[in-house]
Amino acid sequence: MPHPSPIQVSELHVAYGSKPVLKGLNLDVPAGSITALLGGNGAGKSTTLATLLGFVKPQSGLVRIDGVDPADAPDAARRKLAYLPENVALYEHLSALENADYLLALSGAKRGRDAVREAFRAAGLQEEAWSQRLGGFSKGMRQKVAIAVALLRETPVLLLDEPTSGLDPKATTDFNHLAQAVRDRGAAILMVTHDLLSAADIADRIAFLEDGRITHSETASGPDRFDVRALHQRFAARTEAVPA
Amino acid sequence: MSAIRLIAVDELRLMARNRVAVIALALLVLLTIAAVVSSWAHQRGVAELRARHQSAAEEAFDAQPDRHPHRVVHYGTFIYRPLGPLAAFDPGVDAFTGNSMFLEGHRQNTVNFGDVRQSSLLVRFGQLTPAFVLQIVAPLLLIFLGYGVLARETERGTLRLLLLQGVSRRQIVLGKLSALGAVALLAGLPAMVGFVLIAGQPDALAAPMAVIAIGYAAYLALWTVVIVLFSTWAKRSRDALLSLVAVWAIMAVLVPRLAPDIASAATPLQNRFQTDVSIAEELRRTGDSHNPEDPHFAAFKQSVLDRYGVARVEDLPVNYKGVLALEGERMTAALFDRYAEASHAAQTRQNALVRAAGMFSPTIAVRDLSMAAAGTDFDGHRRFLEQAEAYRYALVQRLNHLQAEVVSFADDTAKDAGADRRKRIEAENWREMPDFAFRPSSGSELAASAMPGLLMVLAWLAAANLLLVAAARRLGGR
Repeated sequence: MPHPSPIQVSELHVAYGSKPVLKGLNLDVPAGSITALLGGNGAGKSTTLATLLGFVKPQSGLVRIDGVDPADAPDAARRKLAYLPENVALYEHLSALENADYLLALSGAKRGRDAVREAFRAAGLQEEAWSQRLGGFSKGMRQKVAIAVALLRETPVLLLDEPTSGLDPKATTDFNHLAQAVRDRGAAILMVTHDLLSAADIADRIAFLEDGRITHSETASGPDRFDVRALHQRFAARTEAVPA
Repeated sequence: MSAIRLIAVDELRLMARNRVAVIALALLVLLTIAAVVSSWAHQRGVAELRARHQSAAEEAFDAQPDRHPHRVVHYGTFIYRPLGPLAAFDPGVDAFTGNSMFLEGHRQNTVNFGDVRQSSLLVRFGQLTPAFVLQIVAPLLLIFLGYGVLARETERGTLRLLLLQGVSRRQIVLGKLSALGAVALLAGLPAMVGFVLIAGQPDALAAPMAVIAIGYAAYLALWTVVIVLFSTWAKRSRDALLSLVAVWAIMAVLVPRLAPDIASAATPLQNRFQTDVSIAEELRRTGDSHNPEDPHFAAFKQSVLDRYGVARVEDLPVNYKGVLALEGERMTAALFDRYAEASHAAQTRQNALVRAAGMFSPTIAVRDLSMAAAGTDFDGHRRFLEQAEAYRYALVQRLNHLQAEVVSFADDTAKDAGADRRKRIEAENWREMPDFAFRPSSGSELAASAMPGLLMVLAWLAAANLLLVAAARRLGGR
């Protein structure tokens, strides 16, 4: 019997009041893979993430994070995932190292200082910033701290929301390498993004979310992995149809 | 380290790194120390002054020469209310009610020389005492230190960050409560240490001290819960701060100031002048001992003559003037007692109304328990008045007995050249009169009288906790 995927979504229906947002979403992200979820504004990407994170309760359907239903046991589900939001919120009164120590201790994944430093290095955070309070950090620097913390938690599930939006090209490349390393370690990664090129670079599967359900899904194959031009045309056509 | 402790430690770390918070806390500690020292010095000075005056009054009374006992009745004496050891912590109504009383025949005088009448107007706005600091200042400081504990996390998005680490809402709220609770403890500690130092004398009472300590701990815990509650509800720190300052202004300042005015309007008291006029009118109606035609005193005279089986007052074995003085004092004292009782009943109704306002203000409830346990509330004052009147009555009647039994009627009514000397009795009689000794309430009585206030504070705390439990479930959306 095959091992169930760390991220399982089946026939998921979510509505805000009388307005349905997700209308039978099916999504399965196996361990050791990256799925990129693309969609226009209002397609339901944020709601999908909020449901996986346990902040939104579905009307019906099945959602599992490494076997845990986030609607029933949000705290347990969250301990099994790391989440990197588009706009990183961290503690400004703490240094980068203190932020990492605090958040890792809270999640029960306390790591030694050497491991934290190594993660900062891998995330591309300059060494002189490690002991500085986050008050003066740029968005990219905060993003790197959050990336390091997310990776250090070594959870079976990693959820990414526009993970490279604040990063410069080199940091984006570094991040892609890190994400692939996490995948190779066996984690299931779901990346919600508008950035088709970045998704095509690292994802093993690209899925289009439209009007609350997956309307197209493609798995990487061959040396070129994806036909980016064809995907772009499809993506552009679909997102144009969605009012901004 | 548990998540609760981690969150608490981080909150304290944030406060420690915030210069404003550190300065505010340092100021509170300094203010408390100043309150403890000044209150202690003030109370000690007052206690010494009263003891000295009491001693001087007793010496002056005892030093009277041989004289007619009725002159001693009018000479009178001063008594001073001694302060209990807990009065240094909470002087209560002492500053307003006065502390000394002139005792004489035919009159019940009021207490005089309250601090408020002798000091600057500032005293009316509250003396700087440890009780005042804990009741009014400490909650405000806690508000400024704690309004953002959760509202800030919500506003900056870090609340979701905490939740995403797998920390439960309950753990987050408990962590914040623990941090602010530790600050409350730190804020209250100097006052409590001062309390033990100034009140922990050999004659101090353990039960009321324990009630005061528990009461203020519950009061500060209540404010801690209320602050975290409003911070849980608020989406923005600014909203939490404004709401909490409004709550503080209403509960700690406005209601405690308005409640006595409302109670006073609902149950008005006669002023001193009105009372004096009423008493004089009633006395006139009751009878005039100097008027031989007065029906009451004519009947009284006849009853005395009948009792001794004689036809004339001159034939009585006792001095009729002394007997008359005894009867006159009994009548006036009964009349005064009735007026005093009515006044006390009205004041008790006023106090009951103010106490009921504790349902709208925990500050009233804690003030109530604090004064009651310290023995400086209205009941403590009334205890002094009752004992003072009992002492006055006994003293005056003892002197009247001396007049009736030691001074002869013939001498007392004589007007010849040597009559004045014959009317006098030995000064030793004054020295044998017992001195006034105020009997304060026992520890268990003080603790029992503080129970309603304590229960009210605990009820507030329980209600606030219930609200916080409900609010915590909705913290940060689902």
